Amino acid sequence: MPIHEKTLIDPKQLLQTDNLVVDGVDVSGHWNTMVLPRTMTDYDPDFYKTIQALPGGDNVHRCWQCGSCTNSCTMYAINTDFNPRYWIYLTNLGFKSEIVKDKDIIWQCVSCNKCTNICPKDVRPEGVMKALAHWLEMEGHTPKSKSTVFDEEFTRQCLERGRIEDTEVMFNFFRQTGQSIGGMLRAGWLRVMIERMNKIHLLRRGELGKFLARLPMRQGLKMGWAMVFRPRTRSWGRTGEVLREYVEEQKRAAHAKIAARAH
Amino acid sequence: MSDAVLVVGAGPTGLAAAHGVASIGRRVVLVEKESVLGGAPILSRYAKLVPSGEWAKDAIGRMVKRVEDAKLVEIHKGTKVTKLDGERGNFTATLANGKTVQAGAVILGTGFTHFDAINKPEWGFGTYPDVVTTTQVEQMVGAGKIACPSDGRTPERVCILLCVGSRDRQIGREWCSKICCTVSTNLAMEIKELSPSTDVFIYYMDIRTFGLYEDKFYWKSQEEFRTKFVKARIAEVTVAPDGKRLLVKGEDTLVKRPIMIAFDLVVHAIGMDPNEENPEIAKVFGVGLEQHGFLERGEHYTSTFASTRPGVYVGGAALAPEDIDTCISHGLAMAMRAVGDLNALAPKAA
Repeated sequence: MPIHEKTLIDPKQLLQTDNLVVDGVDVSGHWNTMVLPRTMTDYDPDFYKTIQALPGGDNVHRCWQCGSCTNSCTMYAINTDFNPRYWIYLTNLGFKSEIVKDKDIIWQCVSCNKCTNICPKDVRPEGVMKALAHWLEMEGHTPKSKSTVFDEEFTRQCLERGRIEDTEVMFNFFRQTGQSIGGMLRAGWLRVMIERMNKIHLLRRGELGKFLARLPMRQGLKMGWAMVFRPRTRSWGRTGEVLREYVEEQKRAAHAKIAARAH
Repeated sequence: MSDAVLVVGAGPTGLAAAHGVASIGRRVVLVEKESVLGGAPILSRYAKLVPSGEWAKDAIGRMVKRVEDAKLVEIHKGTKVTKLDGERGNFTATLANGKTVQAGAVILGTGFTHFDAINKPEWGFGTYPDVVTTTQVEQMVGAGKIACPSDGRTPERVCILLCVGSRDRQIGREWCSKICCTVSTNLAMEIKELSPSTDVFIYYMDIRTFGLYEDKFYWKSQEEFRTKFVKARIAEVTVAPDGKRLLVKGEDTLVKRPIMIAFDLVVHAIGMDPNEENPEIAKVFGVGLEQHGFLERGEHYTSTFASTRPGVYVGGAALAPEDIDTCISHGLAMAMRAVGDLNALAPKAA
């Protein structure tokens, strides 16, 4: 018999052979469909500690599954697969592989915080969504988000030189996120921005003098110079190295604190 | 007319009633079928009581001592009432030891019987040594060590199955036993205290930690002691492929998936059955049974704790599953009723 509710079944659990004859009876196609059992055979009772160690996940263990978060959720109203209550449950029992299945949805949280406001146990589900998205990214299940790429570039420059060079941050950010600078210059928003900032309409109207007079020549030169020579803040020395060590230390301490509290 | 009050049963209800009656100057005859006073908390060796956290032997022990020390209380242990003749104001009770007792009123604190988990064979009690009841875990806590009965090892993973012998039409238990949720969340904390490396899971249909037991037991167990709550009614308990642990099968209703999880120790949160002697008690005392088999209440609003026979009062876990604190209140309330009613009768007799 054909299975009518195939949408409810994980496609990986469905077995079907296109051409199959058993004892002279043709049972090709849906006549031989088999559904593999999806039995869960173990818990990972410590997984929640991993999520707790990430910003926002602190209270995940408090959840008692009332479903207020899901019912109040902005995203759930649009897509019923977006179910914070469910992911929190999976986190607490450590069903990691089930969480990974929803890796392309979890990040969609819009941080409206209706769940956080309604949660009777102060689980702060919005934070948990962030922590889960963070974990998925850390584990390589999802690509680095654009904001992570930006943060990393920004931090790198801060630590290396004690300052950032705006142009270089944007330049590297665009490059690392696969956004074509040339393309954006030719037809994208970058062109529009540069044109408006520099009042290109003056040039188009033939008012060359006016145009040149307010063109940020010095700023442009400075930007170009900084891009090439990459200056550091005066007497920066080993400060970056020390800072980097300090940040790592703080992270370790925060994780240890959460882990200790979890026991 | 007799001015004494006959109290049947020396559990928390009967002890509170006996002391209550004596404290307002009436004579009490206390009849207990066991050879020790204290009822279920003492006989089944409960550990720490909910919600006080006091050891049962200390807390109930004080109640026992208070009654034993009361001058107006006459105690008959190891015997039962076999016959109750007469009527309100003038009862004559015959005891199994041959004595007769005159009493103006009768208070029944005859309590309950623990559900025998063998009546749910699919959950493995009686088949596998590592399937135990909450009462047995109480005794383990009392002894200070949580261990698998099969080989004495400390369990890495314990699950507590709620509603064993409660809320189950299949076996004719259509009631909530009221206190098992709270007791189980408390036991989960006690297990964790004795063995911090043990993970405790509670399989539930609903969690009914009523009133102030919500945060003190349920929330605390979950938030501080990391008890995991899994919404699943278990289908069966068998042996895991390693031949050592137990395999708990069921459906996780929140994930909508079948589960087959191995545990070292499976605990049945057993419910409260009507006292198995209730048919006999009903016959001897001439009182009715309600549909589940507990003793029947009379009119409650103006004749509180009345049974269906005038002059006979019933309270505590004889009426329905009840917690110890409430039983004690019932006992004291029945003392008030019995003495009040006897006082009202007195002028007529004079």
